Amino acid sequence: MIAYLINLATLVCINAILAITLNFIMGYAGIFSLAHAVFFGVGAYVAAFMALQWTDSLLFQLVAAMLLAGLLSAALALPALRVRGDYFVAASLGFQVLATTVFSEWKSVTGGIGGLVGIPPASIAGHAITDPVEFFGLAAVALALVVVLTTAIVRSSFGRSLKAIRDSESAALAFGKNVALIKTLSVFYSTAMCAVAGVLYADYLSFINVESFTIDASTLFMAMVIVGGIGTVWGPIVGAVLLTLLPAALTYLPFLPRTEIGSVQQMIYGLAMVLLMIFKPDGLMGAKQGEA
Amino acid sequence: MLLLQLIINGIQVGALYGLTAVGFSLIFGATKIFHFAHGASFAISAYVFYYLYAVLLVWWPISILAACIVVVVFGVALDRYVYGPIQSTDGSFFTIFVGSFGVAVVVQNLIGTVFGRGFISVPSALSKSVELAPGLYVAPTAAIAVVIAVACFVALQLFLGRTNIGIAMRALSESPALVRTFGLNPKAVSTCAFALGSLLVVPAAVLTSMTSGLNAAIGGRVMLISVAATIVGGVGSLRGAACAGLLLGIAENLALWRFDPQWSEAATFLILFAFIVLRPSGFFGRAVNS
Repeated sequence: MIAYLINLATLVCINAILAITLNFIMGYAGIFSLAHAVFFGVGAYVAAFMALQWTDSLLFQLVAAMLLAGLLSAALALPALRVRGDYFVAASLGFQVLATTVFSEWKSVTGGIGGLVGIPPASIAGHAITDPVEFFGLAAVALALVVVLTTAIVRSSFGRSLKAIRDSESAALAFGKNVALIKTLSVFYSTAMCAVAGVLYADYLSFINVESFTIDASTLFMAMVIVGGIGTVWGPIVGAVLLTLLPAALTYLPFLPRTEIGSVQQMIYGLAMVLLMIFKPDGLMGAKQGEA
Repeated sequence: MLLLQLIINGIQVGALYGLTAVGFSLIFGATKIFHFAHGASFAISAYVFYYLYAVLLVWWPISILAACIVVVVFGVALDRYVYGPIQSTDGSFFTIFVGSFGVAVVVQNLIGTVFGRGFISVPSALSKSVELAPGLYVAPTAAIAVVIAVACFVALQLFLGRTNIGIAMRALSESPALVRTFGLNPKAVSTCAFALGSLLVVPAAVLTSMTSGLNAAIGGRVMLISVAATIVGGVGSLRGAACAGLLLGIAENLALWRFDPQWSEAATFLILFAFIVLRPSGFFGRAVNS
């Protein structure tokens, strides 16, 4: 039972990192990306590939994953600079579809549909992290760092510029803000941190395949942000906790066939998104949105 | 000969893409609602037709009529009970998009639960190919797709240009206040746009169920193509959406000439991406970066 709870807690930490980084671009930069799972996948595949081929050093994996994800983020930043919100959603959706195809077809690197199995545990300074409790500690530290760093950025002058752009791009431009640079940097930060979650995920599960990085995953991450409350500090964390525990809770319903749990989960958060938008568009934690 | 075959397939697919995209574009143009659940409308009408015609063996005109009724009810209900309330409190793009997206997620999973997630297709004599020339196979559905697409498009242009309600629909996209001043109810006009836009997916849904088949996730794909065609064609231009749909269909099939089928969606994305970066206003549209 303890092992089960530790496992859930580790996954909650990883999902919370994903939700926070997505919230950073959605809530503060106004960039609604349906391609977040792409960068999660990039992080996971980089970590897995490096662990299998070269090194199990967590540090090297993190640096490589963050750099690669950050570079790929140009594919998001470019359309985000060119068109406004609704069209950008379509571009990110297309990017997600394309990336899913690459993940499942580039067999020499990603292992195709079957994925990569037997990923060796990551090590920090020569110490291999095999104990789940230790790994949970690692994930929790990573989450804490991401929360602190992201909150610090949001409250800095960079964060205020970002919000200014979200609320009125032309006004920010008139005030002499370098809109293109600020947007590009924020997308870079978000995707690089998202890749950190991918690295942790691959090292933790020691098995990854394309299933975890599809449009369904991107939708789930977006739902976490929205259900919790977009543009708030605690919203994405609350959303990540709720939506990660939901499938676990559903398994206790005896009348639900196991194979339908995924679909029932998606129906629940789909419905939650619709109802929240009608009755409380700020999300569950949105009441305190005054300072955001 | 392979190339010609691919172009013909592309025209067939593209005609249907164009028709679906015109429906999306019509709704978006008139009401400014980013109707992400347009793909869900497609999936619903396709599965209603499949269930009645192929499972319950109902006569085909009745099956198609039922698909039309269900999809129009779905579209109008969304406008009334989801978009309407959202717009009355907070009409931002984001809230409408999330609400619409939530509906699409629910519909996709409901269909998956009820009908299964595998591929299904409706057997029909119309999709049997005939060898027109050596190595060139064409099914009657190709001709039907093109004829229906052209007919619907011409009918739609006449409707928008000649009838009062059609003119009101175009006026709504310019200025809702003016529509109200003129004594018309913008809500009623918006309902018409949703009914008509949703109705336009039916021919594509029915023909697709006979040719390439359906699965529960088809809504997402249709959605991507409709939005891509709307952007590539130029927002607010129905003619642009139709042409772009045709272009995407042909490009997708031409990609098969050199690449494996799983890459054909990549063609859609590359065209969309190129247009967004190089020409965000599309073929015929206005700039969209404001």
